[in-house]
Amino acid sequence: MTTFGLVQLVARREYLRTVRRRGYLLGTLLIPLGAAAIVLLAQLFNPTDDPSQRDPAVYLVNESAVELEPDPRSPRVLLIDRATGNELVTSGEAQEVYVVPADYTATGLVDRVVRGWRGTEIERLTRQAIQQQRLAEYLRRALIGNRLPDEEVERLVAPITVIEVGLDGEPAPPADFGTFLLPYAFALLFLVSLFITSGYLLQSVTEEKETRAVEIVVSSVPAVPLMTGKVLGLGGAGLTQVAVWVLSALALPYWAGAAIPGLSRLPVQPVILVLAVAYFVLGYAVYSGIYAAIGALAPGTREAQQYAGFLAMPAALPLIATAAFLTDTQQPLVIGLALFPFTAPAAMLQILALEETIPWPLVGASLVSLAVAAVLVTFASARVFRATVLLYGKRPGIGEIVGAVLARG
Amino acid sequence: MPQSGDMTALRPEPLPVVVEGVWKRFGSSDVVRDLSFEIRPAELLGFLGPNGAGKTTTMRMILDIIRPDRGLIRVFGSAPGVSNSPRIGYLPEERGLYRDVPVIDTLTYFGVLKGLPRREAHGRAERLLEEVGLGSVMHRRANELSRGMQQKAQVVATVLHEPDLLILDEPFQGLDPVNAEMLRGVVLAQRDRGAAVVMSTHRMEEAEALCDRILLIDDGRRLLYGRLSDVRASFSDGAVIAAGDGIPERLDGVTSASVVHRADGAVRFVLREGATARDLFRELAARDVSVDRFEVAAPSLDEIFIKVVEGAR
Repeated sequence: MTTFGLVQLVARREYLRTVRRRGYLLGTLLIPLGAAAIVLLAQLFNPTDDPSQRDPAVYLVNESAVELEPDPRSPRVLLIDRATGNELVTSGEAQEVYVVPADYTATGLVDRVVRGWRGTEIERLTRQAIQQQRLAEYLRRALIGNRLPDEEVERLVAPITVIEVGLDGEPAPPADFGTFLLPYAFALLFLVSLFITSGYLLQSVTEEKETRAVEIVVSSVPAVPLMTGKVLGLGGAGLTQVAVWVLSALALPYWAGAAIPGLSRLPVQPVILVLAVAYFVLGYAVYSGIYAAIGALAPGTREAQQYAGFLAMPAALPLIATAAFLTDTQQPLVIGLALFPFTAPAAMLQILALEETIPWPLVGASLVSLAVAAVLVTFASARVFRATVLLYGKRPGIGEIVGAVLARG
Repeated sequence: MPQSGDMTALRPEPLPVVVEGVWKRFGSSDVVRDLSFEIRPAELLGFLGPNGAGKTTTMRMILDIIRPDRGLIRVFGSAPGVSNSPRIGYLPEERGLYRDVPVIDTLTYFGVLKGLPRREAHGRAERLLEEVGLGSVMHRRANELSRGMQQKAQVVATVLHEPDLLILDEPFQGLDPVNAEMLRGVVLAQRDRGAAVVMSTHRMEEAEALCDRILLIDDGRRLLYGRLSDVRASFSDGAVIAAGDGIPERLDGVTSASVVHRADGAVRFVLREGATARDLFRELAARDVSVDRFEVAAPSLDEIFIKVVEGAR
């Protein structure tokens, strides 16, 4: 069998074996299903498709001396008498009725007559805020409408509207939400996928070691194709899981009837997307090689997980140091994190998010650094794997590890 | 002058394994020292030695799991490597099946790793598992099977692809008598169909019963190597055991022996210098005796093992 055939065979087997595991299926499907169930329950008990929740009417009873008339500029403010208001609230047709009392002009107080609230607290507060803004605008117009010209009334009702302009005085373009969001999303996705997939790699290697099946496998497949197959197969399983979660997270709001405004129209620069994928793949290659070697080196699963957790920390450093990125992307700390292969993916994805133009020299240098590291780590870890995977229950010394990496042939 | 095709046809098949002057060092100790031997087709070589003698290391070097520091290893005429893998079946000392995977799937995977097409590997695994009595449990996970069942499955995995070379590391370790008998049958059947078999073992009775040749190593060095009968003969003190009616228990005119004594229901004759067992037999036959048993006394492999290993230390 060719080397490629062996890689394909190992990758296929690792992928299928992992995705068929009960734990994997539960982990992959339970999270989106759980989220969907929560949304479904929320919809059942708090139907959000009720238009009155999004565009609530303001039923208003006037008992003051202020003269209030229907205003076409406030079409959702509906004037009613007290008896009608009581009837609406009692029958449940209206959630609440606002009453402008006789002493309103002296106190400014308005009564809100309710029978009880059936929705969530957030919905109650949101509805109340919309209604009170509408009522305030209506009352301002009513109080001053007969004394000032219409334009001045509008300025009193809505004194300012801020717009953003550039140095040329032209309106500034809308924020490039997608260009900023995507690299951050990839940085987070990278970390999530890294931790998930590292778990699978560790599990695979340590299990083969603990069950001794590894001896049969390594007598049939050389270390490099074996490691490559594992990395590809388990990486695929990890990515499948993350993809299911991401797609679910994107689909859920639409399904729930609360689509994120403008999300479907994200303006994404294709080059940013390509770079994000490149950093993702190279970063994964570096870390997966390290995790496979850890699996071979560690005497047991628990130790392997501890080592892996410790060595995963550099990947998260750029996100911990986000303040430095926001302050100045040219400072030495940021540049250092961008060039150091173990921090480069998350660092560069943040830099790409923050810089207006792509810093090509830095991108090139960091990609080269990552690519070189990926190749070196893969070969070194394959050698470590080969030399130490059969040391059952024994922790090899530093000298043995270095010797394995530097050994000839 | 023969054509090149004829030359190829006449060229002898390289030996399954040739090991020449191999050394392997771990840390500061040499675990294999200047070791040489060969494994021939259709023979069973017993690889004997105390714990830590270097047997497993040598087997792993033949499999290219680890590499020698010095010396030469040829497997089917080429350097050890994955290219030989489809012709080799390996039963490691530390047996292993994937715990949470159906046995049939693991065996199919191992078969495919050895170069069998997936469908064929699956079919062969099914058939062999049926043959060893695991047909009803082949779809169960390994961790649901008894230890004996797992060992049988492991043996099936080793011979699934009908290898030309079988490397068995302590194959009888931990086996109950029923499974040991099953394994004996499998090993002999493989040898009889032409496979070369090398088997490390601590159980001398197994080696005596199965092996054509033996290789005894200790501390990485070769101490004994050759046909089992030759090795035993070389450790014989020239004694002959005879049993039957009328066998003399004193020299009493027996000229070909120098010492006679009774032992374990038989009479032990130590031959004189220059005398042979045939001479003694003639002398006995000339007397009025009935001989039920007549054999050259040779030490057991156990005795040879202890004698050689202790002598070497």
